[in-house]
Amino acid sequence: MKTPVIDIHAHPWLFEEVCTTEEQEAFVIDMTGLYKSGSFPAEEHFIQMNYNGVDKCVLLPLDLTTTHGVSLGTNEQVRALQDAFPDRFIGFASVDPFRDDACDVLEHAFGTLKLSGLKLHPGKQRFYPSDEALEPIWQICEKYNKPVMFHAGMSVEPYTLSKYSHPMEFEELAYNHPNLRICLAHMAWPWVKEACMLMLKYGNVYADTACLYFDSAREFYDQVLTKDIPITWVDRGLRHQIMFGTNDPRLEAIRMKKALEALPLRPSTKELIMGGNALVFLGLEEYTRD
Amino acid sequence: MIEHNEIQIMTTEYNTFIRITEKVRDIVSNSKIKNGVVYVITAHTTTGIAVNEGLECLESDIHDLLSNLVPEDGNYAHARFLHSYGAMGNNPTGHLKSHLTGNHCVFPIADGTIRLGKAQEIYLCEFDGPQDRTVYITLMGE
Repeated sequence: MKTPVIDIHAHPWLFEEVCTTEEQEAFVIDMTGLYKSGSFPAEEHFIQMNYNGVDKCVLLPLDLTTTHGVSLGTNEQVRALQDAFPDRFIGFASVDPFRDDACDVLEHAFGTLKLSGLKLHPGKQRFYPSDEALEPIWQICEKYNKPVMFHAGMSVEPYTLSKYSHPMEFEELAYNHPNLRICLAHMAWPWVKEACMLMLKYGNVYADTACLYFDSAREFYDQVLTKDIPITWVDRGLRHQIMFGTNDPRLEAIRMKKALEALPLRPSTKELIMGGNALVFLGLEEYTRD
Repeated sequence: MIEHNEIQIMTTEYNTFIRITEKVRDIVSNSKIKNGVVYVITAHTTTGIAVNEGLECLESDIHDLLSNLVPEDGNYAHARFLHSYGAMGNNPTGHLKSHLTGNHCVFPIADGTIRLGKAQEIYLCEFDGPQDRTVYITLMGE
């Protein structure tokens, strides 16, 4: 059976189902810095997915309760989107780790809403992944066998500080929780080698390809995945830990996928990156590294 | 008298030519303006409005011509992060093809009918799809 193509990193921020008021739309635009964007129905997203040959995408909300007073999509909205389009969406939860009821919110998200993982943004939610105060969060994720998608590396968004999401800030978490699958999104750019080091050392660390900050998609991937590191690292030692992601709606999903597909990788590696690794990350399939 | 209308089109391809002649014809036919001109204007900077003969072979040739003039792997200054957008400007080919194609066309209206040559087809040209697109149809006359 063909492995589905899974975009592991997409956001529902601008879906009309999330931007239900003008105030919410204005908040999303201010928080994300997508200053010339507007909301659109979720179904429009499928037209782009269909053209791009993407079967499913993971929806990542963001809970900013203590830092900004609201969320970029709630867990309930993500659940509703997944219920409406179960063949296309895989919903993740988010929780502000500093809210008083963080554990209750996460228990509800996994136990009742049955969401598939957790999205956190250290640079925006202002925490270090090694902060011991977050230990209960990790324990809940392990209890439900749910992975964590972290924003990692630089963030171009307003109200963010990159120091919180340097790859080295994730090592203690990966070390202390070997059964917790974590993804350093955006290849933790610009600290790509550090992200590779963590993936080499820890089998529970993944990265996604949702990065495009200079030049065209083809030029940027050529720089990041064939010059900053040799493409052989991707094709050999890390082939089971890198996942296709777009960071939609900020980046360029169509051109990024074409650029990824043009990289000189084994077909089997491309299949892993485009969906096979996501199935393992999501806990839907198993892989034991040798 | 001036009358403003618009049509919405959700495109489904990255680059494609969409025939909109009948939609324009219908708007003209249903208008109170019986003599004047009709403008067909795109609301976007990565689409174009073109007029040509409605033949698949010509559509293919025009697509190839534009793709050769504006290759996807060209060295474009626009391929950078746009701080005013909060997003990448990775669609220079769309902008340049739009520039070459132009943003509008205009036709006479006589006796309540758009005056088109027998071979003329009006196209919305998508150069950065799939996207939801708006085309303004503005009639001026009496």
